[in-house]
Amino acid sequence: MQPLLHLENISKRYGSVRVLDGIDIAVADNEFLTILGPSGSGKTTILRIIGGFESIDGGRLMFDGRDLAAVPINRRPFNTVFQDYALFHHMSVAENIGYGLKVRGRPKAEIATRVADVLETVGLGAFGARYPAQLSGGQRQRVALARAIICEPRMILLDEPLSALDVDLRAQMQRFLKSLQRRLGIAFVFITHDQEEAIALSDRIVVVNHGRIEQEGAPEQLYRRPRTPFIAAFLGENNLLSGVLAAVDGQLGQVDTAAGRLVATADGPLPALGQAVQVAVRPEHITLSPASAATRDALTAEVADIRFLGANILIELTHPALPDTVLKVRRLADGSAADFRTGQKLNLSWAVHDAALLVPGG
Amino acid sequence: MSAAPTRSDTSSCRRARALVALRHALNLGLPILFVLIPILSFVLVSFWTLQDGQIVRTFTLANYRSFFTEGSYLPVYLSTVWLSLQVTFVNVTLATAIALFIFRRTPRVRFFILMSFMLPLFMSYIIKVYAIRTILGQRGLLNEGLMALGLIDQPIEVLLFSRTAIFVALAVIYLPYAILPIYLALDRIPANYLAASADLGASALQGLRHIVLPLGRPGIAAGAVFTFILTFGDFVTPQMVGGTQGFTFGRIVFSQFGLALNWPLGSALAVILLATTLLAVALAGLTLRREHVR
Repeated sequence: MQPLLHLENISKRYGSVRVLDGIDIAVADNEFLTILGPSGSGKTTILRIIGGFESIDGGRLMFDGRDLAAVPINRRPFNTVFQDYALFHHMSVAENIGYGLKVRGRPKAEIATRVADVLETVGLGAFGARYPAQLSGGQRQRVALARAIICEPRMILLDEPLSALDVDLRAQMQRFLKSLQRRLGIAFVFITHDQEEAIALSDRIVVVNHGRIEQEGAPEQLYRRPRTPFIAAFLGENNLLSGVLAAVDGQLGQVDTAAGRLVATADGPLPALGQAVQVAVRPEHITLSPASAATRDALTAEVADIRFLGANILIELTHPALPDTVLKVRRLADGSAADFRTGQKLNLSWAVHDAALLVPGG
Repeated sequence: MSAAPTRSDTSSCRRARALVALRHALNLGLPILFVLIPILSFVLVSFWTLQDGQIVRTFTLANYRSFFTEGSYLPVYLSTVWLSLQVTFVNVTLATAIALFIFRRTPRVRFFILMSFMLPLFMSYIIKVYAIRTILGQRGLLNEGLMALGLIDQPIEVLLFSRTAIFVALAVIYLPYAILPIYLALDRIPANYLAASADLGASALQGLRHIVLPLGRPGIAAGAVFTFILTFGDFVTPQMVGGTQGFTFGRIVFSQFGLALNWPLGSALAVILLATTLLAVALAGLTLRREHVR
């Protein structure tokens, strides 16, 4: 099936600095796609290229089978929700929202009806006559959304739209964005540096780092099967142990670490023997048992700190052979916290499929 | 708690209160002393008359009556208003275009272009007027150039000492005063407004009409007021490049004080000049009614 939007092998330079390198992203109809990356990763540049605010040095940008190279900003068939909303402060909410229709020369009566409809859609029915300065952050956000969807684009771009909101409002707006996207049935291309937000909202996530795509996939896939140490550390928490690949058996690799030999599962092709690799284990996948019960993959470590985090407890352990590493173990706070005390020696174990074998820079 | 304040308490308290009073007095007093009193004094003088070289201090509207009935006051007033409006219109149009030109450059280049347009402000007014004279004069740059090109055989005399010459000179001299406020207003427009406007489908021209010009309006109004007030009150430029043709209202006021020594009439004309400029400011203020502060 032909993607709605297709970035084909896009590259971009600022002077001698390569900011994007071989970016390939396909956005399907009705898809909520998130481009996730730390600041400076190039994710905003990707959005600006799609929007037409930035040129490209290589590759192609296709929308619905049409090359967008020669299409200026104002003729691109989608709209943007800007990071700080960019609401025109000299226009009322209704005028802001109706702007796209007005510059297309739609009749006044039609604009009024459609503005009222869209205001209803974003839950701001009574706010048309207000000015942006009279609205709260969340309300401005809704106006910016309304303004972007009124021309009924098949896709909208959202540039970190929730970053200016406080935590409670952010969670509320996340739910709203997701339900709006489902109701409208259009594609959302969402930019963020917040991995939790990306996981909560997206159908698919493209993780960008240093101007390249690090990995892409469904949130659960990325979380469960990271391919690189960067992804493993960037999405959620992970325990990363460095070592050398010693033996291979199918998708299983045996890794010699400072703390002993560990077995981990590789998602892609395994590297050559003797290569530096990392083993990643999620804190919630680790089982703790008394130090006497030795098992094959067990590491024995000492409890350094126990932190009560509400629903969870986080147990931090240290291992004599891993001086720079704090091993983190997460457990439900079901009252068993009393079972642990600092200084205690415990065995750490996990299922082989919960340990991911990662190739640095792969 | 209820102990009586000691002597030193009361005195320091009194001193603090005196300082506050002094500050209020200065805040209020300085503007009164240096602005209001001089204005009131010539408003007062404008109701007196001059008889046999002596000022007669009896209240009369005679001076104002002469403005409307006598000689050339009213026609000169009206022609000066018309001239100033023309200069204002041309300058605001030019300045808006120039300000937009600067606004569209990259930030690094903006400052230098802006400064090059502001450079004339650092030159003496008289030098500028003389420079214009050497360009427009009979043996001036323009005439010599046109003759060298063979476009004319004789110098065009109307270039200098004409209403056109005054118009050109005033426009040139006061252009920076219009550029600066207009540019500053444009400079305050958030960069992403134009991005958003284009993103929503607006052409550059529509962005100019719906975003840039409405948001630049305070600057345009300020530039218009500056230009109008400065042109309307100027009495040096008209004299130096206008010759006998350049009898503007400012020159009439000046001549009442400097030549005719009729201060009461001069004051009455000055009051009319002041009222006209205040009217200009008020009109400009009206256009800014619908400003929505962010």
